[in-house]
Amino acid sequence: MRAKNNGKDFCMFALPGMFCFFAVVIIPFIYGVYLTFTDWNGVATVKNFVGFRNFGGVVKDTQFWTSLLLTFKYVIFVVIIVNVLAFAIAYLLTRGMKGENFFRAGFFTPNLIGGIVLGYIWQFVFSRVFVSIGESTGWKLFEVSWLSDPTNAFIALVVVSVWQLSGYMILIYVAGFMGLSEDVMEAASIDGASGFVKLKSIIMPLMMSSITICLFLTLSRAFMVYDVNLSLTAGAPYGTTEMAAMHVYEKAFTSRQFGVGQSEALILFIIVACISGIQVYLTKRQEVEA
Amino acid sequence: MRKKVMARIVSVMLVVVLMMTMLTGCRFGFASDPDDPNEEEKKEPIDTSIDTFEYDSSLNGTNITLLNTKAEIQVALEEMGAEYEKKSGIHVEIMPVSDDSPYTKMISLYNSGTPPTIAILDTTDVIALAEEKALDLSGEKWLAEAEGYTTQINGKTYSFPLCIEGRGIIYNKKVIEEALGETFDPESITTLDEFKAFLDRLVDSGIEKPVSMAKEDWSLGAHQLQYIYETYDGTNEGAQKSIEEIKAHRLDLSTYNRMSEFLDIFDVLKEYNVAKGDPLGADYDEMAIDLADGKTAFWFNGNWAWPNLAEAGAEETDEYGFLPYFMNNDKDDFVNQMIQGAPSKQVMVDREIATEKEQAAAKQFLNWIVYSEIGQQMLVKTCNIIPPFKNNPYELSDPLSRDLYEKVHDQKVFSVSVIVPNDHWAVLGAAMQKYLAGRSDRAELMESIQDYWDEQE
Repeated sequence: MRAKNNGKDFCMFALPGMFCFFAVVIIPFIYGVYLTFTDWNGVATVKNFVGFRNFGGVVKDTQFWTSLLLTFKYVIFVVIIVNVLAFAIAYLLTRGMKGENFFRAGFFTPNLIGGIVLGYIWQFVFSRVFVSIGESTGWKLFEVSWLSDPTNAFIALVVVSVWQLSGYMILIYVAGFMGLSEDVMEAASIDGASGFVKLKSIIMPLMMSSITICLFLTLSRAFMVYDVNLSLTAGAPYGTTEMAAMHVYEKAFTSRQFGVGQSEALILFIIVACISGIQVYLTKRQEVEA
Repeated sequence: MRKKVMARIVSVMLVVVLMMTMLTGCRFGFASDPDDPNEEEKKEPIDTSIDTFEYDSSLNGTNITLLNTKAEIQVALEEMGAEYEKKSGIHVEIMPVSDDSPYTKMISLYNSGTPPTIAILDTTDVIALAEEKALDLSGEKWLAEAEGYTTQINGKTYSFPLCIEGRGIIYNKKVIEEALGETFDPESITTLDEFKAFLDRLVDSGIEKPVSMAKEDWSLGAHQLQYIYETYDGTNEGAQKSIEEIKAHRLDLSTYNRMSEFLDIFDVLKEYNVAKGDPLGADYDEMAIDLADGKTAFWFNGNWAWPNLAEAGAEETDEYGFLPYFMNNDKDDFVNQMIQGAPSKQVMVDREIATEKEQAAAKQFLNWIVYSEIGQQMLVKTCNIIPPFKNNPYELSDPLSRDLYEKVHDQKVFSVSVIVPNDHWAVLGAAMQKYLAGRSDRAELMESIQDYWDEQE
């Protein structure tokens, strides 16, 4: 009886979801892996099996490794800044200050704007608004467009991503802070813990589950960044801000090397999966029950 | 409690207002998009009273699709399609390519089994797709009218040239004449030294930085750098040969005269660039405004820049035209006398999915563009295209196209369609940007070019 019911429940609730998941994620993924071993160019009717030649192409593609390195640099900056900033702001926004809800909504707004639009808005800000501020005030910092210098363009990318991602993370951290038990806090205060000690020994361990989620989200989002990259810099100046995901797209569709592009995408996937997996495993271990 | 609800409502409203202002802000920001297909333009009347074209009545009721990758003629093509339907009974649906690249769009359409019957593509895309997917058009009548502008793949013609586009150094005659106080004859400049001396005179008469130069990789990597292949000897074969020679290391870029000559004029343009302080921060729309307003006198670009200039306030009665890309000081060298102009968009017909009837309807549509009085007029007046067909008698309205058209007829255009890999403009465009910004020297640029070709199979 029970088993029968389970089967029916499975069909009713899980099957449609499973079907969609397989149709749009698992099958295309397996097909994608298969494509890395062929020389398919996107239109040809025959796909010849070429073994590991595409991966050889990846090894030779120095630009891919440069962009991957840049992506790592970007991820480190974005993950640290976003999480520290979001944690701090969430902490401030749960202390009962005036206009909390307004600030929460305000910080969250950038997240509601799509990456492409956001990139174009900031492109305008960096290359027009800042430059005209620079012209009228004579500040060296804004004299030339940030987007025309490799280092500054990279900083611009980080700034915009932080601006966009923080809001979402603030929301999760706020939820975490709201869930902290008053009793525990009070007990800690009575025991003489204050300020930094309280933060380090009580709040952080209790917030670990929020930190796990936020780190995972920022890590995967930062690794896969494409939209902001495309609309803000498009790799400019001279290809120095081209991140891995963008390079993969360019390789497949501009250079028309589908096999190599697909192999690079697979490598990027494995890297992101490994790093996110390790991160979740490590931070999960730190989680405690109140 | 109630207070809290109010606070919440107010904060939500504020957020909404913030977002609205942002969204409308961005809409205004893009209002000057030259490719905006919804933009209203004044139309030239089309005379539909005479039409000697013979329509095949058996095709009546056929539906065909056309993939348009030239955003600025979307509305014009829809009008053409409607007119064609009125006359022939064949419905042409015009599909725009919005966010994808044309090639990506074609691939996804083919993979979903719904390719367009007719597709307007770039020459490289046609070469990539033709043998696999396109209908052989070698037997078509219009080939004779488009002599010299067709693309052949292994001896067969798979595509129909839609328009001629030319590029060079655009001048604004009025600005120059006002600055110098004398009439300007574009033909008085014949060499690079003369061009440089002319720029110096403009500087002396108040136009501090007389040249605009786009930082876009397609402009630098395709339109400028490709001169080194196109000017090898001014023929298609020569251009391909130069590439083969570079690949095989038989042509050393450091001693190749066209390479250094190209950099000579590039350096001159760079020196007088209005955005010299921050060349990679230059804004494309602003260049059109600068040229129209007289802040600059020259802009390296092509006749497709007209909509931008018109947007910036240039009138069709103003005198704009092209100067050659002066590469050296030899008056008799063709590069100092002619500008480059070549067919830029190619039309192919699907042979894989389209039925015979649809293919016939598509072929008739192409013939209609070339031979019917209405098609001829609409190509020139509605689409504002320079037709590559000799039998088209209609005149163009904008000064850049008019100048190019006149130069085509005066034999002052050399037509080379150089076939390079699809990422040439992007990869070497980046190398050119680096050189433009002064962050690499000639040797490093040449090395990038050689490396690029070494990587090709």
